[in-house]
Amino acid sequence: MALKDFAPEMDRCSSCSYCKWIPFDQMKSWRFAKNCPSVAYHNFNSHSARGRYLVARSLLNQQSEITDTVRRVVYSCLTCGSCDVSCKVCRYNLEPLEMVRELKFHLVNNGQNLAEHIAIIDSLNRDGNTLGAPRGERGAWADGLEVKRFPGSQAEVIFHAGCRISYDEELQKNARAAVKILTAAGVDLGIMGDHEMCCGGRIYNMGYKEEFNRFARANISAWKRAGVKLIVTSCSDGYHAIKRLYPQLGSEIEVLHTLEYIDRLLKEGQLKFQKEIPLLVSYHDPCHLGRQGEPYVPWEGVQKKVKGQVIVYDPKKPRYNGAWGIYDPPRDILKSIPGIELVEMERIREYSWCCGAGGGVREAYPEFSQWTASERLTEARSTGAEALITACPWCERNFLDAVKAQKDTLRIMDIIELVQQAL
Amino acid sequence: MTLPRHIYQAFEDIVGTDNISDDPAVLDSYRYSLAHTAIHLGPHYNTFTPRGVAVLLPGNTREVQAIVKLCNQYKIKFKASSTFWSAQGYPSEDNTIQLDMRRMDRILEIDEKNMYAVIEPGVIAATLQAEVMKVGLNTHIAGSGCSCSVLASATSYFGSGPSNLYGGWFYDNLLGLEWVMPTGDLFRTGSIGSDCGWFCGEGPGPSMKGVARGFLGAKGAMGVFTKCAIKLFAWPGPKTLPVEGTIPAYRTSLPSNFKAYTVAFPSWKAWADAVYTIWDTGIGYLGHRQFNMFGRDLKFAIVKILTDPSKSLDDLEELLEDPEVQKVTEESKRDFQIMLVGMTERDMAWQERTFDEILSRTGGWKVEAMNEPEIHDWALLYLIRLGHKNLNMVYGGSYDGCFGLLGAADFGAQNVEEAGKFKKKWEKRGAVVQGGGDCTMGPIGGQGGGGTCLWENFTNFDPYDQFSTEGTLELFDAATEYGVKRGWGVGMEKWNAQNRGPDGRTTPKGERDRIHLSAPQPNVFRYQHKVREALNPNDLGDAYFETLDD
Repeated sequence: MALKDFAPEMDRCSSCSYCKWIPFDQMKSWRFAKNCPSVAYHNFNSHSARGRYLVARSLLNQQSEITDTVRRVVYSCLTCGSCDVSCKVCRYNLEPLEMVRELKFHLVNNGQNLAEHIAIIDSLNRDGNTLGAPRGERGAWADGLEVKRFPGSQAEVIFHAGCRISYDEELQKNARAAVKILTAAGVDLGIMGDHEMCCGGRIYNMGYKEEFNRFARANISAWKRAGVKLIVTSCSDGYHAIKRLYPQLGSEIEVLHTLEYIDRLLKEGQLKFQKEIPLLVSYHDPCHLGRQGEPYVPWEGVQKKVKGQVIVYDPKKPRYNGAWGIYDPPRDILKSIPGIELVEMERIREYSWCCGAGGGVREAYPEFSQWTASERLTEARSTGAEALITACPWCERNFLDAVKAQKDTLRIMDIIELVQQAL
Repeated sequence: MTLPRHIYQAFEDIVGTDNISDDPAVLDSYRYSLAHTAIHLGPHYNTFTPRGVAVLLPGNTREVQAIVKLCNQYKIKFKASSTFWSAQGYPSEDNTIQLDMRRMDRILEIDEKNMYAVIEPGVIAATLQAEVMKVGLNTHIAGSGCSCSVLASATSYFGSGPSNLYGGWFYDNLLGLEWVMPTGDLFRTGSIGSDCGWFCGEGPGPSMKGVARGFLGAKGAMGVFTKCAIKLFAWPGPKTLPVEGTIPAYRTSLPSNFKAYTVAFPSWKAWADAVYTIWDTGIGYLGHRQFNMFGRDLKFAIVKILTDPSKSLDDLEELLEDPEVQKVTEESKRDFQIMLVGMTERDMAWQERTFDEILSRTGGWKVEAMNEPEIHDWALLYLIRLGHKNLNMVYGGSYDGCFGLLGAADFGAQNVEEAGKFKKKWEKRGAVVQGGGDCTMGPIGGQGGGGTCLWENFTNFDPYDQFSTEGTLELFDAATEYGVKRGWGVGMEKWNAQNRGPDGRTTPKGERDRIHLSAPQPNVFRYQHKVREALNPNDLGDAYFETLDD
């Protein structure tokens, strides 16, 4: 695809602004009705999906040029996909999230990068991670753990820690907990340690498609060589990359989020909670596990028209609108922990508010990123919850930073922490 | 054109650096494709509304006043819009400052006892409804749907919608009003003008509602409305709509005092008789011929798609072959949707009995397939929240109404079939969606709960397809000619054309004068000319405030 391939959508988008709100049917209040952090923060139309369609159209038709303002318009999209969900309540022939990603690719291909993103790409090329950390320290989080390590071992399942968990000392405990729990449950598990590489998901959402392809192919090849059948990860960004993007490059490897695996083990009776945790919690759906966590369905077909001017696809095209994301397993786990009481925020599941860490925004626009996180903290606090639980290290890091900045007392936890405490 | 830097700086000083832009790409995000709800040209004609010279995001009334005064000082046209639903909200003149009112989005007050809310321009109907339901009240929602600004619908445009029947449309519901006049002066109309609170649109104090709003509104051409009070009505339901189901098939299950029926009739005469009797008896909370917007032949298939998350438009053809779908399609040709809402159990029982009696007398029937629990609860949520307006564009990306007008229920009895047959001939050519000719929809109540219906025959087309857009234009020209010949008058297909030409700019004066002179009451436009002379001496709006020289 190229930006020009989205030209029909640029004219078929009706500028209705549904992309600025959670699905209207789900609105419960004025305060938590917005869905797109980018337009909620910047306010100009150009920062919404409808506006970005028009900006893209303007660029494509050479009615305007890429300026600093345009770079901000494009790169401040978190690629959280909330616009996509709201759009598709009514529309079946628009792909706003795909279009915005293509717009990012377009800017990158035209050399219109951001220095903050170039630094990440440099880090990737140098050390195989997005955090500017030494390659040789990637596996340090697992020091002392009794777990198989690739290459040199055989196991059916690889635990992919991901860049954030691998290098974020405050979060490394989550990876250790996941490995311990799964291993104790009898899962034949290994890790890549220092040989693990970035999944590429985050740079894809920054606009670096070629670099993503390179890392994805390298990972697919490494896992194939290792004879791995299943990847388990606690990183929702990585989960999305492996589940939705890698198959487009020929990967057939299965991926489960750690909490999916734990939910399965609980339901099969292989794990049982023993301890009570008296805690009122709310759950934050990570964008890439929730609405973007739907299974990939291969499709090759054409657009055609029936009944005169009804646009359809032949054969039937898979529809990604957040309907089939991973929403229930984390809730089922939380509800099954003795003492835990789950109170829902207003914006949940497919219309969840983003944490603010995605799309390269955390790195390029930290103030906006932290505002986005703090909006979510406000929503969580409005439920009376003592802790905000999530299932993605990027969400957790952004929330932790916001809590620290605000000197908030709200606890931020990965779901795996609660699981470990309750077993 | 770009603004001279010193003028740009003066505007920036008012709203702050973060709330002004003249970046060309940002300005292009504030243009509107005239292929949508306008005059139906596609990208092959490159007809977008003119690019503004700057877009400003004012944060309060004081800033709006300062902007307008500066516009007067430098003779710069300005146009405010809140939610930018249709072409009316965009400039039709070059070198116009655009005001995006979205930062002024507060619900300032909900007066439960006196049943009104005071709001700013950026408040949309969905959020207002969600908030007022918490205190047992509801708001009317205009036909443009709950994504739209309540203030804009109430002050500046038609404001009719499905809940006209019980809630009254926004013409009725507009109470006190704060108006930054075209000169920048601040004016408060109705009771708030005498510091008596927001409760009344007509006084004590100056009324001016007719001048400020008139019947159709000035569509952003006569200053900026910065606050208004909206009359609310009773909501005997839960404080929050309990929503379940998988997207997009959301549905709500409400207590037994809420029912959403689809009913159909053996003839249009029976249809109209039922509507008249509903008005006479005073039953009903909301009445709309809603789902026929998908087309008489397609509507039930589309309902099946929208209520099943595993389906998409790609299933349309197969569904149309389903005998059950065909049966329901056939039995619901002349239909409408009505919500009965009981304030008490006795009230509900009485409304149900009355409605059954109306159906019995007119030979009408309830379309049982629409009463299946999951479809009923989906329709109930759809009608209450009106959050699916973008389905107007579901087929090919664009639509507009034709043959539409405000009229009695008998208007439908007299012309819907004929107009549908006329349109069907054009549908066969393939430029527009083959919906079955009759894609007519609209509210079945107005003017105090009865008296009018609003008719609009939806025409769906693909704005990216030259054959489709040109064919739609030809159909609309033919529809106008046919409507005039049959004595129905010019339909909705020309509503924009009298203000804005095919290049997106103001229709030439000679053409506008011709249209206004041929109107039944041209003096209305002469009166508005006087109003404009008095209140907008520098003529800083556009031709959406329709005037005729003496």
